[in-house]
Amino acid sequence: MAALLELKDIRKSFGAVEALKGVSFDIQPGEVVTLVGDNGAGKSTLIKIISGVHEASSGEMLLNGQAKIFKKPADAMEAGIETVYQHLALIEELDVADNVYLGRETTKGGLLGRAIGLLNRSQMRQETGQALSQLHIKIPAPTLSVRRMSGGQRQAVAIGRAMTWGRQLLILDEPTAALGVEETEQVLRMIERLKDEKGLTFLIISHNMQDVYRVADKVVVLRQGRHVKTLKKSETNPQEIVSYITGALN
Amino acid sequence: MTKAQQPPSRLVDLLAKYGIFLILILIVLALSIITPIVRGDQLFLSSRNLIQVMLQASINLIIAIAMTFIITSGGIDLSVGSIVALAGIVAALSMQAGAGPWVGFLIAVLAGVLCGLFNGFLINVVGLVPFIATLGTMGIFRGLGLIFSEGLPIYGFSRDFLAIFAGRVGAVPVQVLVAIVIAVLGWFVLTQTRFGKYTTAIGGNEETSKLAGISVKRYKFGIYALGGLLTGVASALLTARLSSADPTAGTFYELDAIAATVMGGTSLSGGSGTILGTVVGALVISLVRNGMNLLNVPSFWQQFVIGSVIILAAALDQWRKRQITRS
Repeated sequence: MAALLELKDIRKSFGAVEALKGVSFDIQPGEVVTLVGDNGAGKSTLIKIISGVHEASSGEMLLNGQAKIFKKPADAMEAGIETVYQHLALIEELDVADNVYLGRETTKGGLLGRAIGLLNRSQMRQETGQALSQLHIKIPAPTLSVRRMSGGQRQAVAIGRAMTWGRQLLILDEPTAALGVEETEQVLRMIERLKDEKGLTFLIISHNMQDVYRVADKVVVLRQGRHVKTLKKSETNPQEIVSYITGALN
Repeated sequence: MTKAQQPPSRLVDLLAKYGIFLILILIVLALSIITPIVRGDQLFLSSRNLIQVMLQASINLIIAIAMTFIITSGGIDLSVGSIVALAGIVAALSMQAGAGPWVGFLIAVLAGVLCGLFNGFLINVVGLVPFIATLGTMGIFRGLGLIFSEGLPIYGFSRDFLAIFAGRVGAVPVQVLVAIVIAVLGWFVLTQTRFGKYTTAIGGNEETSKLAGISVKRYKFGIYALGGLLTGVASALLTARLSSADPTAGTFYELDAIAATVMGGTSLSGGSGTILGTVVGALVISLVRNGMNLLNVPSFWQQFVIGSVIILAAALDQWRKRQITRS
């Protein structure tokens, strides 16, 4: 089977600092891949390259076998890659529907409406409601301001937003780090369900070994900008993963 | 549990957002009771006086609507007062040289837009924070106005200009009508269009907006250009009202505009702003000045009262924010 995403020797330098020193791995369609590593291992830099925030200094990125270069986030979004950032997922001041459609507004009023950007809020609200309920995401109303929502609700909406648009790959940056036990469970169940029912593909950054071990098919370990190991969940255990993260194993 | 999980109470939210309406009503009530007692007449509630209140509010309101967009986007524009002077001087000089009233008006607007684009350039391309960029252009634009006019007011341009832009439709001054039209358009753009939504989104979280694929710089250019455009309109109206363009005109207008905006519930940290609030804020400032004039209160007290209302509004905003971040 052709890989959905293939990274070949990705490197990235910021001035004299080499944040990524050659990372290669692939993600198969329908797979949940988790990216683990200590602080400064290069996890964030790597997902920022995949999602078009940074451009790689060298290396190749193939999406469905085709070489891609993303110069800005919109390029990656266009290609069907959606990213949920840990602290930057939603705009608190906007409501749920405005967030789900942020950057992809639909307009009404024909050509003139399009020219002035007249928002079709009723349509966007209706479709947000439908899309989120299809994903079994329960929110009180699409018109609710994000500021009034709990951490778990926010994460659900952020993932729902990514799900609505991400046809190829969903990248989740620490999806459970800010959540309580029950909310974490809800988000993990959501990921499992979306993988099983919709065959969605995920790349997940996580610090939490329990979460990683539960949802992952494959674990990619980074250490100090280097790709140390790719482990199949069926052939590893949490202790082994931790050993690779800390450098006890090489 | 994360920090930002406690929603603010509805009451604080409402007070911070709409408290200024309460203040407006209290001021009107107070003045309509006190004026007859002090003066022995009901001059305050006369239609002539109320129209005067609106006329005095109109130029500040137009600039404050520009300021509402800018502050909602997380920025600030300290140069608007200087743009008022520069755009007026340029328009007056062009009309002295023979340009017609409408051309003169357009030149004022164009000058405003160019000033706004220059602010946008400093903020988006040079990368200065808006406070510093517009603090600098406050001096630059004022200086250009003084240079072009050689420091003197410019009189004696077309009477048509005054007739059109300082005229009346029935009993209502054109300037009041222009301010109302701009307020309605401003409300429409801020709440119903993509431009308005992105203005709020950028002020709410610029980084998140960028990650959502919004070309933040382009929109910020647009926001400051819009600010310049509206300030150019205000400048043309002021020039017509005073029948002269003065290089010292518009001094401290930025403070009145910021005051009206912040009183109206627009958060200085960006991400939330309402045009209706700004309209009420501008009316409150105008009413306070008018009422104190009617009551013969020394003008020093006007400054004192307006300053107090600003602090009250800002304190409410802070109170609301503290409630949001309290875990």
